[in-house]
Amino acid sequence: MDVGTAIAGVLTLAVLSFLYRDNPVYKMAESLLIGVSIGYTLVVIWSSTLVDLLFRPLFLDGMLPLIIPLVLGLLMFGRFHRATSSLSRLPIAVMIGSGAGVAIPAMLDARILKQLSATVMPVLTASGIPDLSAIVIIGGVVTTLCYFYFSREHKGALGSAATVGTWFLMVFFGTTFGYTVMSRMSTFIGRMEFLLTEFLHIAN
Amino acid sequence: MNRVVSRHWIFLGLFVLVALTMGSGIRLDTPVSDRTAELYNFIESLPEGSMLLVSFDHEASSLPEIRPIGQALLRHAFRKNHRLIGMALLAEGTAIGYRLMQQAAAEYGKEYGKDYAYLGFKPQYIAAILSMGESIPATFPEDYLGRPYESLEVLDGVATYADVAAVLSIADGSLTTHWMEYGRARYGVRIVSGVTAAMVTTYDPYLASGQMHAMMGGLRGAAEYEDLIACPGGGKRGMLAQTATHLYVIVLIGLGNLSYFLARRKKEKR
Repeated sequence: MDVGTAIAGVLTLAVLSFLYRDNPVYKMAESLLIGVSIGYTLVVIWSSTLVDLLFRPLFLDGMLPLIIPLVLGLLMFGRFHRATSSLSRLPIAVMIGSGAGVAIPAMLDARILKQLSATVMPVLTASGIPDLSAIVIIGGVVTTLCYFYFSREHKGALGSAATVGTWFLMVFFGTTFGYTVMSRMSTFIGRMEFLLTEFLHIAN
Repeated sequence: MNRVVSRHWIFLGLFVLVALTMGSGIRLDTPVSDRTAELYNFIESLPEGSMLLVSFDHEASSLPEIRPIGQALLRHAFRKNHRLIGMALLAEGTAIGYRLMQQAAAEYGKEYGKDYAYLGFKPQYIAAILSMGESIPATFPEDYLGRPYESLEVLDGVATYADVAAVLSIADGSLTTHWMEYGRARYGVRIVSGVTAAMVTTYDPYLASGQMHAMMGGLRGAAEYEDLIACPGGGKRGMLAQTATHLYVIVLIGLGNLSYFLARRKKEKR
């Protein structure tokens, strides 16, 4: 067994020991995970962001416009002192302004307009038979929107539609929860497979 | 105290169940869903030697679920002799993605630089996706190993998304959404994905609205895909355990509800 497998096996068992109760071995594994993750991310970001995108092009290739993001980045550190904290508003404003400018049209298109156009569909198939899935989708969208319409009391037709909307929401929550359980079980199964085969050699 | 004790029994039951099912060596048959078949057919339908951009958009914590998904997709792509470019939009996915590509490439005798390349991590995912739409070599002047982009044969003539048949996002979070919002919407590149089960309901509307070309989800999706490419792996191995644990959860939910209603009835009688 190589060192990497042994370390991974011991740490997996250390993390699983939390299922019994909180203990120092689990805490050690948890701290190690946080430390290694942050360390790894810092190194990757240092090399692929600061070195590749800023220091090398600015200082070696002489790309002077990069002074602007460098200065903006340095202004962010102004937050650490009360006297200079207002300086950090400038890079934050640039980030929010450019971020919103880029994100809003894209999100509006992908998350609302495209989804809306996918909801507008014929309720009859080419042969004239009602398309059940189209009816369910349209019904689900309309009744769920009724549930989220708060400008009128949920009574009468609106109340009935809102009730149907809550059923659709419950089905969605149930499906999502089911998939999440499936995902977490998969993670556990994956670790168990590692423990039983590569670490303990109990199963093939 | 009773609650703590019962919780431990539940965990122990789960542990024993998974150990027994994994140790049994029984492989469960999994009927292939339309969703997974669509993704398989898409990769299968691409002309041999098509360029696929594989983005490892996940963290290390989802590796047990992501690995079978990634392995199945990479094996299929290499078997079809497609050319692959790997990259990562999350720092933690960088090394995992490189390792997965190396392993799959070795199985099919593929050569680094000639059949596939790995560009590594690029921070600020929105900026990275948009920048690649303008120029991939300008976004990644060097590959993961520090070699110049131009020196890699497989990247010859690959300048923008126009030179890529599809982006294959292997994700455990919402990063595939950004591929659709920026890569697809702005540059028209086709997006296909392999995602963890927890993300399936998030991406279903994108699949239904045609913004995502094809998708497979979770360990189950990986098992189905392994069936399609006739190459059993982690997905197939985990299916019996997955089915058993699901039944276990259903039984526990049933027992929990039963005990709740019995307790309520007892209370009402008093």
